[in-house]
Amino acid sequence: MSYMRINIGPIHPSTHGVLRLVVDLDGDTVKNVEPHIGFLHRGVEKLMETRMYMQNPSYTEKLDYVAPMGWDELYVNSVEMALNSKVKEDAQYARMILLEFQRIASHLLWLGTFCNDVGQMFTMFMWAFRERAKVLKLLEDVSGSRMFYVNMRIGGLMRQLPQDFIARAYALTDYLESHIKEYPDVLDANGIFIERTKGIGKLSKEDAINWGVSGPVLRASGIEKDVRKDNPYYFYGKTKFNIPTSMQGDAYARYRVRYLEMLESISIIRQALGMMPENPDVAGLPIKLIGPQAKPDIIINRRELPRGEGLIYMVPDKQKPYRIYLRSPTYTNLQVLPYISKEVKLADLFSILGSLDIVMAEIDK
Amino acid sequence: METTKEALVKTCAELKQEGYDYLNAITAVDYTDHLEAVYILYNTEKKSESVITVMLPINDLELSTISNMYAGAVWYEREMQEMFGIKITGANQERLLLEEWNGADYPLRKEFIWGKDYKKKT
Repeated sequence: MSYMRINIGPIHPSTHGVLRLVVDLDGDTVKNVEPHIGFLHRGVEKLMETRMYMQNPSYTEKLDYVAPMGWDELYVNSVEMALNSKVKEDAQYARMILLEFQRIASHLLWLGTFCNDVGQMFTMFMWAFRERAKVLKLLEDVSGSRMFYVNMRIGGLMRQLPQDFIARAYALTDYLESHIKEYPDVLDANGIFIERTKGIGKLSKEDAINWGVSGPVLRASGIEKDVRKDNPYYFYGKTKFNIPTSMQGDAYARYRVRYLEMLESISIIRQALGMMPENPDVAGLPIKLIGPQAKPDIIINRRELPRGEGLIYMVPDKQKPYRIYLRSPTYTNLQVLPYISKEVKLADLFSILGSLDIVMAEIDK
Repeated sequence: METTKEALVKTCAELKQEGYDYLNAITAVDYTDHLEAVYILYNTEKKSESVITVMLPINDLELSTISNMYAGAVWYEREMQEMFGIKITGANQERLLLEEWNGADYPLRKEFIWGKDYKKKT
């Protein structure tokens, strides 16, 4: 029997970037999907080999443009490890707070666009973006830029925090908590949303491990794996938080895990704010192209980014990386798409793709 | 942990038996006189990682696939094949992962000069 082959993308609003899907259809049942990537490949790893250590954060930020601070911090911390320099204690708290705010902003953007994908049109999108704008405003006041912050420096941040930062951060967590807790009232009571997500794109526990997916996609399949808990960095070991998981492994479970993660992030931010001294000293070293020489030991550094586990494998040279490998979480998460999209309806393909939360700039590198 | 390319599949199988059930990443490093393939595995029970390196002489760049043990290895191996020219045997590699690339130059090798050696696919 022959199937109908259609091309979706590379320019298509539901693919969230320049992703091309070649789909074999029987009626409107998906028989096979093949993701074609590489339209956004710019050779970041090669470029980073040709530049000094502190010239590179502007590349790492553009990997995941929805949550740039995560990659920025992971890279700068890898350089800190190579240079054997310590991060100021206050700056560690500040980084935790900013990273968790970034995670909330990223999950909010995902929630808004995902609801659009599954036909819960624009109410959730507007709400999520309303909250996200407030988070971005705070991050802008800290770093001077709304989206691409580049505010990590060796040993700390680019500059001191604004004077009223702690009070504003507390107020923002209260605001976020009260609003985010309203979301399930809208989504769980919405027949369209439930029907388009429950039981769609199931990924079992064994398959999730075998395919090596990470982040909320892995945790929605019932595996409690979170770098913040397993290999704690900064003061994550001192804060109390849960890792939300679900046994269902479907698109709804992925929404649920991300929703609960936002609430956990709020709790982490409050604890970190409570532990941080009143007038924190967070400023790191200004950018110098020629700095101290790096040790030749190989660096392996991992972080729980909003989309999953980011990893840097770096062979340091004296003033620039000899080789740097960036493990992007969504690269592996996208790989599982053909496997979980067999025999679904074409419309559900986008529910599944949306629930994986991909960012093409990070996949193609 | 260092291993040879002949023993790679066996080493991975043993580690998987020990509980290293999660493949973090596969990549390679070009040291100009030889290449080194790097496999990072993770034990989800014990929360520990294991790094396997395989030394590959420049005139014999070939590795067996481990995708029958770790399904997620396929794209990493294809990436390694296209970026470093390390041939992966035993896996389904009929299509280039990065389609616009010519498939004959290996951009992450040190001999490839960025901005000079780029040739478009013909």
